[in-house]
Amino acid sequence: MSNTNENPQMNNTTEDPQINKTEGSPHMNKLVGSPLMKKIGKGPQVKKPRPLKIAVPKGALFADSVRLLTLAGLDTTGLDDPGRQLIIETEDCRFFIVRPTDVPIFASLGGVDCAICGHDSLAEQELDMVEMVDLKFGACRFIVAEPKDASNKAEDRYQRRGVMRVATKYPTITQAYYDSKGIQVEIVKLHGNIELAPFCGLADRVVDITATGETLRENNLVIVDEVLESTARFVGNTASVRTDARIRALAERLASLV
Amino acid sequence: MKQGRNRAVIPVTPRGFKDVLPGEARWRESIISKTRKTLALWGYAPIETPTLEVLEVLEQGGTLTSTPFRLFDTDNELLVLRPDVTLQVARMAASRLKKEDLPLRLRYVERIYREEESQRGLSRQLTQIGVEAIGFSGMYADAEMVLLLVDTLRAAGLTDFTIALGTVGVLRELLELCVESKAVDEAWSAELIKAFHAGNYVAIEQLTNAPGLDARYVEILRVLPTISGKSEAVERVRKMVAPLGIVNGLEQLYDTYTIIEGAGLAPQVNIDFSVVSAFDYYTGLVIEAYAPGLGKALGSGGRYDRMLEGFGISAPAAGFAVSLESIMQALLNEDAAEQQEDTSDTLTVTISDGNPAEAFIKAKYLRSQGKVVTLEPENGTRHERRPLLLPMRRFSNE
Repeated sequence: MSNTNENPQMNNTTEDPQINKTEGSPHMNKLVGSPLMKKIGKGPQVKKPRPLKIAVPKGALFADSVRLLTLAGLDTTGLDDPGRQLIIETEDCRFFIVRPTDVPIFASLGGVDCAICGHDSLAEQELDMVEMVDLKFGACRFIVAEPKDASNKAEDRYQRRGVMRVATKYPTITQAYYDSKGIQVEIVKLHGNIELAPFCGLADRVVDITATGETLRENNLVIVDEVLESTARFVGNTASVRTDARIRALAERLASLV
Repeated sequence: MKQGRNRAVIPVTPRGFKDVLPGEARWRESIISKTRKTLALWGYAPIETPTLEVLEVLEQGGTLTSTPFRLFDTDNELLVLRPDVTLQVARMAASRLKKEDLPLRLRYVERIYREEESQRGLSRQLTQIGVEAIGFSGMYADAEMVLLLVDTLRAAGLTDFTIALGTVGVLRELLELCVESKAVDEAWSAELIKAFHAGNYVAIEQLTNAPGLDARYVEILRVLPTISGKSEAVERVRKMVAPLGIVNGLEQLYDTYTIIEGAGLAPQVNIDFSVVSAFDYYTGLVIEAYAPGLGKALGSGGRYDRMLEGFGISAPAAGFAVSLESIMQALLNEDAAEQQEDTSDTLTVTISDGNPAEAFIKAKYLRSQGKVVTLEPENGTRHERRPLLLPMRRFSNE
């Protein structure tokens, strides 16, 4: 995999990826990434670059991610309906379907070359990588909420106890927010259904994500402050961005689409 | 934490630290000795630095970003386990090596300590093989750094790696212009540098939306981190920033790259304006080395002409360090890992109870012939390992 010398060729393939697009049989697709092919690939006469490894978040961001990658000219055959498969191979790419909160660690440690990821996960984990394009979709807000009929109760308790108790899935973002406000907090980290916390005395308030506010309303919570806004981002592993021209080219095409 | 009286403590190492067993240790030794030889051939002299430094002293040279291990000694001095050797060498050069003739070419192999969060698969102790070149500057000095880095990585056995070169001069000057225009302040400038360091282009775009900021500056700040290539990349940036009167570092980067091209290394060396090191002490050239499959740079360096000023003398300086552990990972990825078994034949000399000294004399002779010799008693008194059934008192919290 002497990809350093092949950068110019990679550049060419990325400028018009459709040229390389073929309806490869599943068998052929399997062969592309096999150890055998990698060995053959080491010979100087073989110019084909290794497949670009891309992480796609499953869940809410998945459909828009696939749509955008397709519009950017990538062969996403099989990705739109992957079933239970977690790795989808196409002619130039290898797609990994990853839990949204795990995408940053995949990109940061070089498990994948690039990825689509919500800004929320990136802000929470503060890992090393290149955040290249704001893809504008998957918009949601980080908000502070409390029970509707308990307004000012949290403030009152804060005055007495000197510390606010907040339940969240995002302790880093929550801590940074309250630090900037000069409010002392005890953070209770939960893994889901944050809305429950204020109703069983686990916390005074919650910091959570909302797109429409529907879940909050249904659970009798009102928004008391905004923390930050999040959208999907195109990110790259730092080493990959600097050694593989295909990633910057893909970033440029994605930027032109949003 | 429950602490029962008879509870055994599991004998583990601290998070991010590990033992090195003979197979790995031999491999490490071999890489270190090969790279040392190369650095010595370039005229670099060995030095060693202390494991601990006085925090206040070290900070004179630059900001320390990650110093997880701090402690007070009995003099009540706040000490830090070295997070970086470069600052130590700057301190050394400014104090102990004042009278030495410049340039000084120094090399080292040292362990450094950095903070990495739990459960991210990263070590908190790294071994750096590095150099510092003090007292010379210009394109020849910069080219020496790059060519020496290539030689060092090749000596370690790597064939597949890429080196990215940048310069921090352009960004620094551009930000000064932005602040002078009064549209933004110093705090904004610090935020922008932070976004560059973090590789957060979205944040750069948002920050450059600041009202009143000259559209020409906005354009350049947004495009700069996307520019990479060979010498034409420097030309592109030069054309962009020349109308603003910014020249800092570009000429020298171009000239340095011309030398590198002339030395036939263009295929392995790229220009990349997104390379801005996490350390704030760099003043010109910045270098990073990458190998396929490694998510992070396996080595980095650059020029820091003002660092020694913090320690009271003025001299230009440059250097780089590569991580031994990253090199080993890259070699494994290349299938170029060395056979870890000890291949040298080991001879065994039996000690006879009648005349034990004879065996030691015989072994001494064989060793003088370059053989590896171990001694075994005649009656074979080997110890077996027996697991203890009782709680391991040795490790308990008593």
